[in-house]
Amino acid sequence: MTPAAAVELRGVSKRFDDVTAVDDVSLQITDGEFFSLLGPSGCGKTTTLRMIAGLEFPTAGSVRIFGDDMGLRPPNKRPVNTVFQSYALFPHMTVHDNVAFGLQMRKLGRDDVRQRVASALSLVQLEGEQRRRPRQLSGGQQQRVALARALVNEPRVLLLDEPLGALDLKLRQAMQLELKDLQSRVGITFIYVTHDQDEALTMSDRIGVMHGGRLLQVGTPEDIYERPRSPVIADFIGDTNMLSATARHDGHMVLGPGQVVRANVDVPPGAQVVLTLRPERLRLFPARDSVDPTDNALDAKVVRRVYLGNAITYDVDAAGVTLRVRQRNAPGQRSFAVGDDVKVAWTTDAAVLVDR
Amino acid sequence: MAQVLAPPPPDETTASPGAEAGAERARSRLGVLIGLPPALYLVLLFVVPLVIVLVYSFATRGPTGQTILADWNVDAYARLANPLVREIAFRSLGYAALTTAICLLVSYPFAYFIATRPAAVRNLMLVGVMIPFWSNYLVRTYAWRVLLSSSGPLSQLTELLGFGQTRLLFTSTAVVIGLVYGYLPFMVLPLYAAIERIDHALVEAARDLYASGARAFWKVTWPLSRPGVVAGSILVFIPTLGEYVTPAILGGSKTTMLGSYIVNQFLSARDWPFGSALSLVVMAVMLIATVVYFRTGGRTL
Repeated sequence: MTPAAAVELRGVSKRFDDVTAVDDVSLQITDGEFFSLLGPSGCGKTTTLRMIAGLEFPTAGSVRIFGDDMGLRPPNKRPVNTVFQSYALFPHMTVHDNVAFGLQMRKLGRDDVRQRVASALSLVQLEGEQRRRPRQLSGGQQQRVALARALVNEPRVLLLDEPLGALDLKLRQAMQLELKDLQSRVGITFIYVTHDQDEALTMSDRIGVMHGGRLLQVGTPEDIYERPRSPVIADFIGDTNMLSATARHDGHMVLGPGQVVRANVDVPPGAQVVLTLRPERLRLFPARDSVDPTDNALDAKVVRRVYLGNAITYDVDAAGVTLRVRQRNAPGQRSFAVGDDVKVAWTTDAAVLVDR
Repeated sequence: MAQVLAPPPPDETTASPGAEAGAERARSRLGVLIGLPPALYLVLLFVVPLVIVLVYSFATRGPTGQTILADWNVDAYARLANPLVREIAFRSLGYAALTTAICLLVSYPFAYFIATRPAAVRNLMLVGVMIPFWSNYLVRTYAWRVLLSSSGPLSQLTELLGFGQTRLLFTSTAVVIGLVYGYLPFMVLPLYAAIERIDHALVEAARDLYASGARAFWKVTWPLSRPGVVAGSILVFIPTLGEYVTPAILGGSKTTMLGSYIVNQFLSARDWPFGSALSLVVMAVMLIATVVYFRTGGRTL
């Protein structure tokens, strides 16, 4: 018998009055995994997390944690802890009392509590801050206290609700790596809710993409980015070009305005499809250059150029098809100006079928 | 170290050095002008009368009730040790403390209930709490007199149930009922404000950290609502301590409170020095009690 999943959702739905926040979500999260629920605000990811925590109860379906059906079990009786979006640190307690709260509720001895609090604080690099109050700490420090307060209980699953949302970019990026590090050290299952695709891609073992209450795709970061299963996912994760096309009898694709391209997709002739093409998979050449004949190439004109520092993006118009191209700002890389005639090229496997 | 020694940032007012200071001066002149009328009002109608009371408290009552403003003494203060004064003071403190406690017990669940309703319902209920203010306190207290009288509806009900007539009017129970009724909104509103401000995520965090509903309340909601408890208690305790109307209408001769007693000194006994001394001491005690209460309440937050 295979071991039970750390968390399993079976056909979970949540309706608030006439709004369906979560719609028939089924999901298995493996023990020790860093799993992210990714989606725009209002997609149901936080509600899903709250149902695992026991802060909401499903309207339909069941939540199982290590095989146990949670039913209507209240949050204090579940083997999970949560790091809340706004940290929810108790303002009237010191850092020590905040972190000790869960242990005290479980009636651990005083010395034991003190020891565990100290080691949890050193885990998040806040040694010796026991006596301060949450409001005396910076946002990053508060975030660490919230993390320590949850981790000190050694939960089997840690739930994190956009824990880095309130931090500035630099700190957020540093905390992302730190969190991932921490997770592999403590070996606890992390379920991480975020609307930030970079965050999800950076940290996760697997990502579940949610939209409109539904779980659209579950996969590794590569799966999600390289092989998005629907236009919504392709559009939400990173920048992309969407091309509608019709399949021809010889396997070639005819784009809307009539250009013929090749793509490694398996669809019957006559099928109407949507292809997605990542901007960094496109290359630009001067109009006169010759391009590898096995690649796709279209004549185009540069209509917009945006300098990003580490990259440059171009919007090019190829006879009615607008494509965004992202070029690394690397030595030897040729730069183009608005109005330049160019060739835009991509390999036949760059385009991914997202809809038919 | 280099950062510490870096030169201070350039002065931003170099363009017109005096302009900002001038604007600042103009603003503060305007502030004085706006503040002057209310300040005058307070000095004339609050500070000056208080000083008069202070002066009178050191004067002497003449044989026919006139106040003799020569021959300063502290006789009026010495008479505060009188057992009757002590009895009335303790009775007032008792009524005020009991009223505050009952108000707190009744208001807390009610305020909690209001604070956890949806916004629209919440506002409607708050208006409900304030509706009694639309009619005069005196009128409402007289209404209690009808309700509590031995021929009133309450008495009729108990008689119907076979318990006989109730004799509540002119007792201390009637006074406390009247006081609780009158001051309940002053407890509900600050409690509501304090509870409503508590981030619900804090309670959820406590629940997530293995606290039962009851423990989450005692560990999180109750301590965080303490500013409301302190404010509400002060708002109820202080005015009830000096209350005059309620005991006068609902109470009898054995329920005299400090307020009525002070009024009697000025009006019936014509003993202005004693009334003044009593007023000042009551004020001082309340002031000290308030400060102590705020301090102890404030430190735990």
